[in-house]
Amino acid sequence: MVEKKIYSKLGEKLANGDFILTGELEPEKTCDLSHTIQEAKEMAPYVVAANVTDSPLGIVTINSMAASHIIQKEAGLEVIWQLTVRDVNKLGIAGMIMGGHALGLRNVLSLTGDHPALGDMPESKPVFDLDSATLVRLVKEMVDKGTINGHEIEHPPTLHVGAAANPNADPMEAEILKIGRKAQAGCEFIQTQVVYDLDRTIEFLSEIKKYNVPVLLGIFPMKSYGIAKGFDTFVPGVDVPKDILAKWKNIKTEFKDDKKEQKRVYDQANYEFFKPFISELKRKGLLAGVHCMAVHYPRIFPKLMEVIQA
Amino acid sequence: MVVITTKKPVEEVLNVLKDNNAKKLFLVSCGVCSALCQTGGEQGLEEWKEILEKEGYEIVNGLVVDDVCDNREMAKVVRKNDADIQNADAIVTLSCGLGVQSTIEVLSKKHPQKKVFVTNNTEFMGMTERIGRFYMRCRGCGDCLLNETGGICPITTCAKSLMNGPCGGMVNGKCEVGNYEKDCGWVLIYNRLKEIGRLDLFSKLRDPVDWSESGHQREVIWR
Repeated sequence: MVEKKIYSKLGEKLANGDFILTGELEPEKTCDLSHTIQEAKEMAPYVVAANVTDSPLGIVTINSMAASHIIQKEAGLEVIWQLTVRDVNKLGIAGMIMGGHALGLRNVLSLTGDHPALGDMPESKPVFDLDSATLVRLVKEMVDKGTINGHEIEHPPTLHVGAAANPNADPMEAEILKIGRKAQAGCEFIQTQVVYDLDRTIEFLSEIKKYNVPVLLGIFPMKSYGIAKGFDTFVPGVDVPKDILAKWKNIKTEFKDDKKEQKRVYDQANYEFFKPFISELKRKGLLAGVHCMAVHYPRIFPKLMEVIQA
Repeated sequence: MVVITTKKPVEEVLNVLKDNNAKKLFLVSCGVCSALCQTGGEQGLEEWKEILEKEGYEIVNGLVVDDVCDNREMAKVVRKNDADIQNADAIVTLSCGLGVQSTIEVLSKKHPQKKVFVTNNTEFMGMTERIGRFYMRCRGCGDCLLNETGGICPITTCAKSLMNGPCGGMVNGKCEVGNYEKDCGWVLIYNRLKEIGRLDLFSKLRDPVDWSESGHQREVIWR
């Protein structure tokens, strides 16, 4: 068996089989990343790495490669550079992979990207020259073979490449077979869409276990009732369970006069929901770790560490 | 197969004619595809005659031509109506984009300065359910995948033209583009391949589209 090469802390932890936590940072429409860097610094003691998003929902933000580099440099936190195939053709993406490496990036998450029609520049040309699986394959060719389309790269990049999976997808089998394609392309890790349904998640993760790709489970701890409700309403395909919404609503009203206590109770409620959820999946050997997608909620990380380490 | 067209706003066409100082017009109306789309044919020709005459334009001649897009047909029209073409400030085609360009090409030898305008927008090469219901099912990519995708084209039915879908924008079999009203092309492909017992084809990792051949002006020349 060929020894797996390690290029990053994330790669190392996954190879060691450590149960890990990753976070998410969402740079906005700004050239000043100080808020994001601050958030990165707050989560840095707890997470192995954090994703840096690439214009989610097709709403244009600062470029994710530039933001990833700056965050990594300024916050000292390893990043997982999210790269969509939405905006750049194959030729441009190959150049970006070399550029990303040269800027010190060592993990890349291959994503399709939300269609420009959803965002704030809907008239943009949707590129999608590659797709999320063929981007994985391109990165693997560049890293493992040191070539692009068979042409030699003088100093090839060294990055780990991951991909996304959606346990909520219906029909599920189509999604499972798609993960098979990503695995075939050489995907080294998977981060899932946010999940709340334990039975469905067990079914999905059990099915994709055969592909032998470590899975980081996407979770979304809810900072407040408003966030929970908004997530339930505006994120298509993800339903926050009714009892959770009711519990969060109750916290909102019961502790409306004591914000400090309210925060503590929200954090505790997240802990109580996610602890058994994650423990069960961990016990079944279905997870390599957890990916927390709750942006602007860094105070939850100490609690999540307790969940991870339980 | 029909080239599906829709009518340009009348104002837009009138502005183009005004901008080009074209007052005497020769109308050429497509008798095939545009006739079916009710953007050409006899009906379209009558509509445009009425609009233009009301606006003070002189209609030198108006003809329905079977295949405006066929150089041979248009060459006949030009030959038979040379005096009217000479007399007209511009030719107005009630056709698809092919009709306009075919007309320009045919006119290029004898009337290189003759202006040609179009009243329609060309939408796509379409499948007809019935008049007034036309659907894009093929983009003419030049490298047909249908034998491997259960007869459903991902380049056309997937909003992102992905070769390895469905993407994360699929919810309950519907596509994120258009507010989850249209079917996800890759779920249609999955359902079809499942039905015919060929999910092995769905599992295959497909190469990206090869744009080296299809990304520029294509020609089919075999004689």
